[in-house]
Amino acid sequence: MSVSRDDVLRIAQLAELDVEEDALPDVAEQMSRILDYVAQLSAMPAPTNGTVKTFVPGPDAIHFRPDEVAPWPLAFGPAAFAPAFKEGFFVVPKLGQFE
Amino acid sequence: MAAGWEAVIGLETHLQLRTKSKMFCGCSTAFGAPPNTQVCPVCLGLPGALPVPNGAAIRLAVRGALALGCTVHPKSIFARKNYFYPDLPKGYQISQHDQPLATNGTLSFVSPERGIVNATIVRLHVEEDAGKSIHDRFPKATAVDLNRSGVPLIEIVGGPDLRSPAEARAYLQTLKQLLEYIGISDCDMEKGSLRVDANVGGSVTQQPMLYDSRENTVRPQRSKEESHDYRYFPEPDLPPLVLTPEFVAEEQSELPELPPAKRDRFAAQYALSREHATVLTASRGVAEYYENVVRAGAEHQAAANWIMTEALADAKDHQDQLRVPAAGLAQIIALVKGGTLSHQAAKRVFAEVAAKGGDPRTIAESLGLIQVADSNVVAAWVTDVLGAHAPEVGRYKNGETKLMAFFLGQVMRASKGKADPKLAQRVLEEKLASAS
Amino acid sequence: MSDAKAVADRLVKSKRLNALLTPSKELRSALTAQAAAARPTGVLYGMPVAVKDNICTLEFTTTCGSRILEGYRSPYEATAVTKLKAAGALIAGKTNCDEFAMGSSTEHSAYGRVVHPLDKTRVPGGSSGGSAALVGAGALPAALGSETGGSVRQPASFCGVVGIKPTYGRVSRYGLVAFGSSLDQIGVLGRSVHDAARVLSVISGRDPRDATCEDRDPLRLPTVPESLQGFVIGLPREYFPTELDPAVRRACDRAVRLLRDLGAAVREVSLPHTAYAVPTYYVIAPAEASSNLARYDGVRYGPRFDGHADLRGLYRATRGQGFGAEVRRRILVGTYVLSAGFYDAYYRRAQQMRALIAQDFRNVFDRGVDLLFTPTTPSPAFKAGEKLSDPIAMYMSDIFTVTANLAGVPAISLPIGRVKGLPIGGQLIGQAFLEDEMLEAAYALERVVPATDES
Repeated sequence: MSVSRDDVLRIAQLAELDVEEDALPDVAEQMSRILDYVAQLSAMPAPTNGTVKTFVPGPDAIHFRPDEVAPWPLAFGPAAFAPAFKEGFFVVPKLGQFE
Repeated sequence: MAAGWEAVIGLETHLQLRTKSKMFCGCSTAFGAPPNTQVCPVCLGLPGALPVPNGAAIRLAVRGALALGCTVHPKSIFARKNYFYPDLPKGYQISQHDQPLATNGTLSFVSPERGIVNATIVRLHVEEDAGKSIHDRFPKATAVDLNRSGVPLIEIVGGPDLRSPAEARAYLQTLKQLLEYIGISDCDMEKGSLRVDANVGGSVTQQPMLYDSRENTVRPQRSKEESHDYRYFPEPDLPPLVLTPEFVAEEQSELPELPPAKRDRFAAQYALSREHATVLTASRGVAEYYENVVRAGAEHQAAANWIMTEALADAKDHQDQLRVPAAGLAQIIALVKGGTLSHQAAKRVFAEVAAKGGDPRTIAESLGLIQVADSNVVAAWVTDVLGAHAPEVGRYKNGETKLMAFFLGQVMRASKGKADPKLAQRVLEEKLASAS
Repeated sequence: MSDAKAVADRLVKSKRLNALLTPSKELRSALTAQAAAARPTGVLYGMPVAVKDNICTLEFTTTCGSRILEGYRSPYEATAVTKLKAAGALIAGKTNCDEFAMGSSTEHSAYGRVVHPLDKTRVPGGSSGGSAALVGAGALPAALGSETGGSVRQPASFCGVVGIKPTYGRVSRYGLVAFGSSLDQIGVLGRSVHDAARVLSVISGRDPRDATCEDRDPLRLPTVPESLQGFVIGLPREYFPTELDPAVRRACDRAVRLLRDLGAAVREVSLPHTAYAVPTYYVIAPAEASSNLARYDGVRYGPRFDGHADLRGLYRATRGQGFGAEVRRRILVGTYVLSAGFYDAYYRRAQQMRALIAQDFRNVFDRGVDLLFTPTTPSPAFKAGEKLSDPIAMYMSDIFTVTANLAGVPAISLPIGRVKGLPIGGQLIGQAFLEDEMLEAAYALERVVPATDES
């Protein structure tokens, strides 16, 4: 298995996802299967001609927006959709471990 | 710094670009609006919203890169920097990573310890700002304001070329001056438009340090996330940032004369000392003001003296506003030179014009500060004074020449201070010599 | 107003499919209001179009089939929706889908699975399964879906309807909730090629709010051609493997004969990197998704879930309970492939492979091939629950569709036959921004394919 229990915990922390303790073996197993499956890409020999091309669909270059104050419209403001909103601010619990 | 331990400091400076609207949406960047009122689907990170880049921000960033002598790359790539923070609405910041806008420039500054230092500018890239988390607004909760979210920034990464906090300060002042000069940023720390992080190495560890330029201190930075694995990858919502040679050339032509060149020119063209030239070119506004005063006819050194004393002192107390128009200052200088105003009186006129505006001569007249330099008028006052003080005239003639000061005082008194003192003395001397 | 009522009645009658997330009462009043406001001069005047629930609308909630957006009302609407309304169409509610469009069976919705319109034991395909099922059941002439790896074409194939994925950049993504931004496009499911194409034409064209949308005029619809004389159609051999379902193979063989009969020149071609398409897709799509779904953190919108003492607790509870298993799995995989030390082996490699896959298409198109014909899916609609425990088996149902998303080219699926009553879809893949040629061939083929008989 390519993904260990600790790998899952490390990745879950980066992704800010709770993974239940008893779900860990299953999640590690499934991630392993998927990652082992996509790992066939690295089995392909790397392009040798030096310049590695990548492909991005869409326009070749950015088109700029003019510097005008013209906000994209909002039918209603944050107070209407925020889960916690007070005195004009979004409200979240204190940062805890972030501090 | 502990003795024998030499710090190696590299600064990462974030500057807000001077645009009307945000980096990737049409919201205003104006400072001081009520919280969460300058927001839209894009800068709130609503589901389905997409970024569209502001052309003016890219122009200003390119201008900054050129002023720092950087190579501006014809193609650069926006990238996502992924981390969680409540004021980062999308869960990632749109920045640039392995293909930045510009690399490899230089900033020359005067180190208090080593003289002129050429600091490396490793890279300059464009990114968006996060919002603001306010931790002391509510008990047990953090308040989040997203008005700043998406404001355009450049990050300027300096090489590890600085040896002390004093050098870091000199580097920053020079950088700030340059970027204000070329008009791309207000560099206002109060409004958060200039922020600095320092990387301090030199010993074995490379701990990220925070440099506070106001307190001039360096302290270890508290880590924002437990892990710094930002998982950068190319921003799929934005095509490559491709700049044509014409675009870059246009910005090059928009660059004004930069401070070092201007200082040298001032010294040569106006025969000023290097110190005076440095003071007068420290900001673009002052330099322009000086040249306007000179253009309005003021003598070079007198203009320099007036600006370095009266004008800058007044500006310091009034939000850096140069309140007396250049033509007005030139007129004041001319009035002093022509003997119409004494130096003391001229300072009063300057203060009046600064406070209330108006024409310096008219103000001088209304304040009764014009010196009377008409010899007939002065002669009449002298005649009156000498006639009224016959005993003193006698004593003077008997050799008590120190009475000249007494006579002069009486003439000034009779003229209510308006007599040109030099003229009055000359007329007194003539009359006392001839009236035998 | 009777139009609005009839539209609503037909939709409500299909309730057993669990294809529409909008409650009947709300649907009726919204349709009535829209019908009263619709512009009679619009080219889609009065046409009901249901919209996949990952496309933002002002009239209805936009939940993406997820608990994390339960009850979420978007304060703005997608450009595609604005264009539909401007053309006089009626937005006929929101359709059920795999959560955040991640899935191929519409079993991964927090609001229950969608039932296949012809066989209740089977899946309608996904992730646009709700849209496909409604059109397949005859409740609507057309519906919007979205594509990241085949999410319009695969359910279209399963439900016996037409599904178009336009060229990347043909339709604005503004208001389409992002899954894999470099792959996502809004697509259309329609009763016929024409129904799908006319809706596509309306929603296509430039949009200053999407930097990846090309600065082009809307798609112009071709006329139905008399023949396909002059068309060169390639059959990529990698799309006809030996293990292909025999019924699907028979239907494809017949469709190829029909294309020849219409005058097209048909030749075998090769897209040699096809075998790497699914692994490439399952690196790029989760990587982009892991970043795109970071914004669902319980701070600004959507519900908050219990169990948060501090901010990190809020994040973990909201994201842990708000996202379903498949979404969580893809976020973890995507985070993994972008994380320090793994980026080069996975993400960079996948980007390189994507370039090779796109080059495969350019190579065949540069050699005089106008269009490719392939099966849309390796098999007809499978049983509900059949692939739920095996994510890779589920991923393999996208094997013939992901390539067009990776290469950014347009593709259409249309019915080419049935087996035991279950529809089989055939796919035409076109060149970038040449949807008109692709549609011409689809029009011609659609006209000659027998409607219902066993292939």
